[in-house]
Amino acid sequence: MRGASDTMPLTRRRMVSAGGAALALPFLGRGAQARGSGRVVVVGGGFGGATAARFLAAFGHQVTLVERQPTYWTCPFSNTVLAGLNRMEAIAFGYGGVRAAGVTVLQDDAQGIDPERREVRRAGGPAIPYDRLLLSPGIELRYDALPGYDQAAAEVMPHAWIAGAQTRLLRRQLEAMEDGGTVAIAVPDNPFRCPPGPYERASLIAHYLKAEKPSSKILILDAKDAFSKRPLFEEAWAALYPDMIEWVPVSSGGKVVEVDPATMTLRTDFAEHRVAVANVIPPQRAGAIAETAGVADATGWCPVDPETFESALVPGIHVIGDACLAGAMPKSAFAANAQAKVVAGTIDALLRGEAPGPAKLINTCYSLAAPDHAFNVAGVYEAVDGALAQIEGAGGTSPVGAPADIRAREAEYARAWYATITGEVFG
Amino acid sequence: MVAMVNIPETVTAGTVVEVKILISHPMETGFRTGPDGTLVPRNIIPEFRCLYGGEEVFRAEIFPAVAANPFLSFFLRAEQTAEVELLWTDEAGQEHSEARLLTVQ
Amino acid sequence: MRILAIALLAGLAQPALSQGAPPGAWSCTGCHGPHSGTTMDLRTRSAEDIDAALAAFRAGTRPATVMDRIARGFTLDESRAIAQWIADHARRE
Ligand SMILES: Cc1cc2nc3c(=O)[nH]c(=O)nc-3n(C[C@H](O)[C@H](O)[C@H](O)COP(=O)(O)OP(=O)(O)OC[C@H]3O[C@@H](n4cnc5c(N)ncnc54)[C@H](O)[C@@H]3O)c2cc1C
Repeated sequence: MRGASDTMPLTRRRMVSAGGAALALPFLGRGAQARGSGRVVVVGGGFGGATAARFLAAFGHQVTLVERQPTYWTCPFSNTVLAGLNRMEAIAFGYGGVRAAGVTVLQDDAQGIDPERREVRRAGGPAIPYDRLLLSPGIELRYDALPGYDQAAAEVMPHAWIAGAQTRLLRRQLEAMEDGGTVAIAVPDNPFRCPPGPYERASLIAHYLKAEKPSSKILILDAKDAFSKRPLFEEAWAALYPDMIEWVPVSSGGKVVEVDPATMTLRTDFAEHRVAVANVIPPQRAGAIAETAGVADATGWCPVDPETFESALVPGIHVIGDACLAGAMPKSAFAANAQAKVVAGTIDALLRGEAPGPAKLINTCYSLAAPDHAFNVAGVYEAVDGALAQIEGAGGTSPVGAPADIRAREAEYARAWYATITGEVFG
Repeated sequence: MVAMVNIPETVTAGTVVEVKILISHPMETGFRTGPDGTLVPRNIIPEFRCLYGGEEVFRAEIFPAVAANPFLSFFLRAEQTAEVELLWTDEAGQEHSEARLLTVQ
Repeated sequence: MRILAIALLAGLAQPALSQGAPPGAWSCTGCHGPHSGTTMDLRTRSAEDIDAALAAFRAGTRPATVMDRIARGFTLDESRAIAQWIADHARRE
């Protein structure tokens, strides 16, 4: 059982070491040493998992990545697809680059973990043994949290919060909508994937509607009273899309408490909204494998050590990305990628019997309010009293009132970030 | 806007109706420091009452642990056409009330 | 010439890639790699250059859209170590 999965990666490892360990990595070309020899299984080939797998392979470990999908569609820039600015292909990535880095990629569903025997059970073949396990399974949408919103409802009221078919569906609905229609976006309470995402989405949908269906409206029904980069979004909305976007916070009755796909109705405690297109973003939790593995707590997310990202509940399993509780760090692709590289170094050290060094992490998230109008929020984080905390004096958002050329330059930076990071993640 | 209220307008006698109210209020705990570094004085809504036809039918004590913009919902049995009054006063002395006519057929 | 010299040195010294990364360094490569365009591509910069830029960003004397807010999260020693690490490891071909 182990034979088959052992020999292949071994050959690959030799090949990789001989050819210079990091040749397959975009940034790091020199000084890399492939000297590890541990077996690492990574579950989830998104921003966190694919990054970690490639780096661990470059460090010389025998890495198996279990990812259920042959193609990964990035959530970052999926809002540009909704706006008709990009096609689906622009946000699609295969696993050829991850394989080329020496990783064994299994297109399969990880179904269970046996922490005693240190094995990952999967649907399509024998269990895979590991010395260290890394989970980056992203999110699961909670279909039990919002009355009326189940998987069938999502085919009528798409969430488009996991990119792919849902993104395409929401785009089609926007295209089919008549001018003058209302597009509702229902936003859950914290914590959820990509805190500024719903507002970027509202902006870019407005960009599309303004050009194609200018009498239409966007209604954001929010279960919160504040949101990421709010002054910057509101400034952009007033300048670019006057009177098009209405934000209803929870204190004005914005929280959606029930949906009815049959009548395209969203209910709050105080009003009913019948809309033409409903983008319902439901509450979320860590990818299902986290619960199966016993690394998720009652919140549905995974508590971890803030420096090693090892599960606080099950030793030997590391959890990164959206699935983990990373203290003050938001659930972003940037964060998942940054955590992945730190954890790859940590796992490498642990497998070689060395102590991992201290870590600091950065997050930077760009939001596009229009193709030539972007701003960012950034933070620098370190472990304080067992949790990742933002370093005071650093971080924050782009300034309000910046001139148009700065916003345009930030949009260029956003695109450069996307090209660079997807290169680092998928090769 | 001080509060949002949701009470059915017309029901048949004996119906149990849900009263929902969302009050815009900071619910200052008294433990938070403001921008100038001093403690922001406590200001919560310690008590909330509901009168139906002039008679008290519901009363709630609210504690500092309740978050900003408290949302309350409770039930009452509709017996006669009468006003439903919702009353609360915060610790800064601001008195508020909202009234809705509940018609019973 | 200089770049060649550093490359040779790095080739000999082989600083440990995984263990040697100073705190925060890993977060840089997601933006400052290939594809990132002239401003953000650090592969042609020396350690001294990167270090000076970080110091100026921290002091607020160099125009920035985000690096000022990031640089302030690191001490002088930390950003010097990051600058050196980037210069040591970046691919230059
Ligand atoms: C609209 C939108 C816009 C966004 N924009 C940005 C942005 O501009 N910048 C930014 O930094 N972030 C952005 N994000 C956030 C970003 O998408 C996530 O934070 C990021 O994808 C998290 O990475 P991850 O590795 O934790 O999970 P994911 O990227 O979701 O990867 C998880 C992978 O695991 C696989 N998987 C899960 N369970 C199993 C299993 N049991 N077996 C096999 N495979 C499994 C899944 O198929 C998936 O491919 C955005 C999100 C949204 C929704």
